[in-house]
Amino acid sequence: MARYGMVMNVKACLGCRACMAACSQWNQTPFWADEFEGKWRTRVTEVEDGKFPEVKRQFFPTICMQCVNPPCHSVCPTGATYINKDGIVLIDYDLCLGCGYCIEACPYDARYPYEREDLKKDAFYFGEDARHHQVHVDKCTFCVDRLEEGEEPSCVATCVGHARIFGDLDDPKSEAAQLVNSGQAKPLGEYMGAQPKVYYIK
Amino acid sequence: MDLIQQHTWGWFIAIYLYLGGLGGATLALGILGELRFNKSKWFGIGTSLLGLAILSFGLIWLVFDLLNPLRFLLSFWVKGIAHSWIARGMVIIMGAYIFGLLYAVAAFFKWTTFKKWIGYAAMFCGFGVTTYTGLLLNANVGIPFWHTPALPVLFTVSAFSTGCAIIMWTLAGKNDHDSEHLFHAVEGFDIFLISLELLILFAYFDFARLGNAAVMKSAHLLLNNPLFTIGFIILGLVTPLILEAYASVKENSKGMAAFASLLVLVGGFLLRYLIVWAGVFQYPHGLAG
Repeated sequence: MARYGMVMNVKACLGCRACMAACSQWNQTPFWADEFEGKWRTRVTEVEDGKFPEVKRQFFPTICMQCVNPPCHSVCPTGATYINKDGIVLIDYDLCLGCGYCIEACPYDARYPYEREDLKKDAFYFGEDARHHQVHVDKCTFCVDRLEEGEEPSCVATCVGHARIFGDLDDPKSEAAQLVNSGQAKPLGEYMGAQPKVYYIK
Repeated sequence: MDLIQQHTWGWFIAIYLYLGGLGGATLALGILGELRFNKSKWFGIGTSLLGLAILSFGLIWLVFDLLNPLRFLLSFWVKGIAHSWIARGMVIIMGAYIFGLLYAVAAFFKWTTFKKWIGYAAMFCGFGVTTYTGLLLNANVGIPFWHTPALPVLFTVSAFSTGCAIIMWTLAGKNDHDSEHLFHAVEGFDIFLISLELLILFAYFDFARLGNAAVMKSAHLLLNNPLFTIGFIILGLVTPLILEAYASVKENSKGMAAFASLLVLVGGFLLRYLIVWAGVFQYPHGLAG
């Protein structure tokens, strides 16, 4: 039993978005959707920091925060959203009603609907290897299938700038735990009480 | 820009929230009217069935808002009842159907004692439906304009005001003494509810004035939308309040009160629609400060 978490080092993010590409290929997320719809399990947003003339451009990676007290889990009527033994928030597609309540409830905008058109596109691009067969709400799983095989999540494995540091937060030897325990990495929107397990170094 | 209006729920959900509240309030007020004012059995049967019919019509919109409407059967699998307001709402709605229908049967066969107790249970469930529509939105922690205890109170008061409007419409054409008496009682109750609604709105916007950026943006969107200021506040609240207050002290003024009720019904829908529309959240990069 682990307590998986991630540290995002915003300073180290190059903005190459290889993480988005790797995630969308591995998890077959709707990379074909319009950007506005934001159907990504992980995103890298370009943001401006500071005020003129002290302005800098930053790339801000986001993902499901795998909260300890997830509002998405709290509002799910059928129990489709559940937390596994390693503290990863997952969705049982067979139980997902598709009401969108969890999309609304997530304070980190980490969920999106996998709709009928997306199923068609998934089947078109991936053929027999298509992994999505019914409409459902989708989100990051920390690539739970890769973790079972002893691999890192696809976004972490592909990150060239070492901006994503993944590990067991209960293991004091892991780099992620050390960054969190040292106080360098902090969660977003702590006041909302969700207790995210994704931390940021700004 | 890191503040954005939510775009997951739209007017389908707004219609459901409106009709759910309206149906629940009609059920509760109709039964209360029959039990308290000794109206004819057909009044109790008619209003309880009307309330359930309105609720059913609302549920259709909710089902069509699902990613796959055929999956609505899963909503009966209420495993999340300990924490989810959709699951809790399903149970409350089922209670409203069961007790509401049993009440209509008991009223038809004049099983007086059974009718009374079942009537209380149906009223409780009807009240529950009106309140849960607000609690449903309230659970969204990321949308601070919704995540305030004032919202369920506002929706409950508004639902009962629209329920009063429906009851007044069902009574407007009747001239017997009991009907007149109940009509004016409901009219007085509606004046109280509209006044209370204005007070809650004042508190709500005063809270928003001192709130965080997302709350301020929601309030700003609403106060700059003529549908809210003119449509809801002026035509949906202040005008019916004045008309009903005038009608309450004037003879033969049921027509005026019925017209005011129509405005209340339109205003009730505008409130749900606009509150859903004005739900603003902050993108995660905005939370980093």
